[in-house]
Amino acid sequence: MALVEIHALTKEYHKGDQKIVPLKDVTLAIDKGDFVSLMGASGSGKSTLLNLIAGIDKPSAGTIHVAGVDITNLSRTQLAHWRASHVGYIFQLYNLIPVLTAYENIEMPLLLLPLARAERQKRVEIAMEAVGLTDRADHYPRQLSGGQEQRVGIARAIVADPVIVVADEPTGDLDAETSEQILQLLQRLNTELGTTLLMVTHDPKSASIARRQLRLEKGVLLEPEPPKVALAAV
Amino acid sequence: MWKFMPYIAKGLWRNRTRAALTVSGAAVAMFVFTFVGSVQEGMANLNRGSQTERSLIVFQANRFCPSTSRLPEDYARALAKIPGVEEAVPIKVYMNNCRASLDLVVFHGLPPEKLRKIRDLKLAAGDWSTFEKQRDAAVVGNALAKRRNLSVGQRFSIGEVTITVAGIFTAANAADESFIYTHLEFLQRTRGLNSVGRVTQIEILLAEGTDAAALCRSIDEKFRSKEIQTDTRPKGVFQARAVGDLVELIGFARYLGFACVALVLTLVGTTTLMAVQDRVREHAVLQTLGFSWQRIFGLVMIESLIVSLTGGALGTGLAMAALSWKGLAVGSEGVTIAFSTSPMLAVIGLLATALVGLVAGLLPAWTAARAEIVESLRSI
Repeated sequence: MALVEIHALTKEYHKGDQKIVPLKDVTLAIDKGDFVSLMGASGSGKSTLLNLIAGIDKPSAGTIHVAGVDITNLSRTQLAHWRASHVGYIFQLYNLIPVLTAYENIEMPLLLLPLARAERQKRVEIAMEAVGLTDRADHYPRQLSGGQEQRVGIARAIVADPVIVVADEPTGDLDAETSEQILQLLQRLNTELGTTLLMVTHDPKSASIARRQLRLEKGVLLEPEPPKVALAAV
Repeated sequence: MWKFMPYIAKGLWRNRTRAALTVSGAAVAMFVFTFVGSVQEGMANLNRGSQTERSLIVFQANRFCPSTSRLPEDYARALAKIPGVEEAVPIKVYMNNCRASLDLVVFHGLPPEKLRKIRDLKLAAGDWSTFEKQRDAAVVGNALAKRRNLSVGQRFSIGEVTITVAGIFTAANAADESFIYTHLEFLQRTRGLNSVGRVTQIEILLAEGTDAAALCRSIDEKFRSKEIQTDTRPKGVFQARAVGDLVELIGFARYLGFACVALVLTLVGTTTLMAVQDRVREHAVLQTLGFSWQRIFGLVMIESLIVSLTGGALGTGLAMAALSWKGLAVGSEGVTIAFSTSPMLAVIGLLATALVGLVAGLLPAWTAARAEIVESLRSI
């Protein structure tokens, strides 16, 4: 059974009289430990799909099962609790809390879990080590370079040991050299820690480091994978 | 929520100038609120106490300001013989100002041996024997002593009257602490007052079970045919009439207190809303990390509460300190209303600011908590 099973997923909304369909009838499965890249032009629906899988948006139709839970049926509050323990989110613009140090930023998701202070500290230190930032614990975001900020963002995404990490254009705001380092870090997380990754990008080079590459065009998955549930049934 | 306190504190520190200005505004408003509350409490205290309930004031009929009331002193001896009268004390009142004033100095001249019978006073400094033996000695209320920086042994003058401070007293009724008690004869014989044999009023202490209203009527009836008629009223009624104009003003000041609370509400509400608007994306990020809308709501509410309570505590505390330090009183026609402070007043001030903090936080907290995550993440 796949970790993420998406079936006939559609997202639509209205802008004035116009009906906009950023995502249309998408069916997809992602296995545990997979590294999937999702490519597409601007407005192709790739971020919409990512947000739906991350549980921060609601579909108009279809289902999303993550680790056996249909998250489309969860209430707003239930989704928040689910996100805290199941999803890590890496933003394009890092989105660190400016008043918190790197350590405190990484610790934030752990504050939502029933963990003792010592356990939180241990987990933050492991995450900081994984991204190579142990010497920047007390630095504020404004004292870090873009690449370092993104490393903090990645550490924050993995610190709660989520079942899936989603990354929305994680190198979109970085220079070529730093982008390369971040991509290598993501690859290492996938191969060494077994983290399941879904990365949205518009850059073919970045997409190529993933084991599977998918493409969205005008809300339609061009190389739809056969639904695993259906295959299993066969 | 304790785990999130560093985040809340750092969030407030991020906009410290704005937060400090709001705290200052709230502090000023609560300072005024506490002042208004203290004068209202003083008003309520004025007629409280067993002595007020058991006392009558005999005044010259158709006179209002104490300086115009000139009753024959021997009325007191006649009054003492009336059944139901436990004590009749002649009092000469002299003051620096007959009209409404914030610095009213009122001398009560009365037979020294009778002072402690009709007033519940405790000496904080000095001694009673000096007061009773020395002709120009006086005991001064604690509030007045603070206001005028008076101490035992000091000479103090108002107009023609110069007394020597023999003691400083505290009183069960705070309004009494704005008075100076001295010898009746001394005050009567002071040059310029020329009132030997005359007193301003006679204070009657009622015997247990006496009908005050009936006694008032019978006293006035007794002196109806005399050269100087009397107007007798229960002490509470007498005081209420004397400060009648002030009562109206103090009643109106209540609205000033409400306005102060409304001001705090507006200040804290605006600041919290601005803080929320500045952090639309940050709150969306927190929700993406797994913060529920209820938790975001709680974080904003706590922030609002902290700002409001800090301002409230500061303003209330400063007002309480200023009131205790200065011993302010407002008075008219020889009756004073002390600005009274009590723990209850501080508690009311803090509760009001806490409530205001919560109400002010509602709209910003709701706005932050219910914002759409994806849309908010796109905001700049």
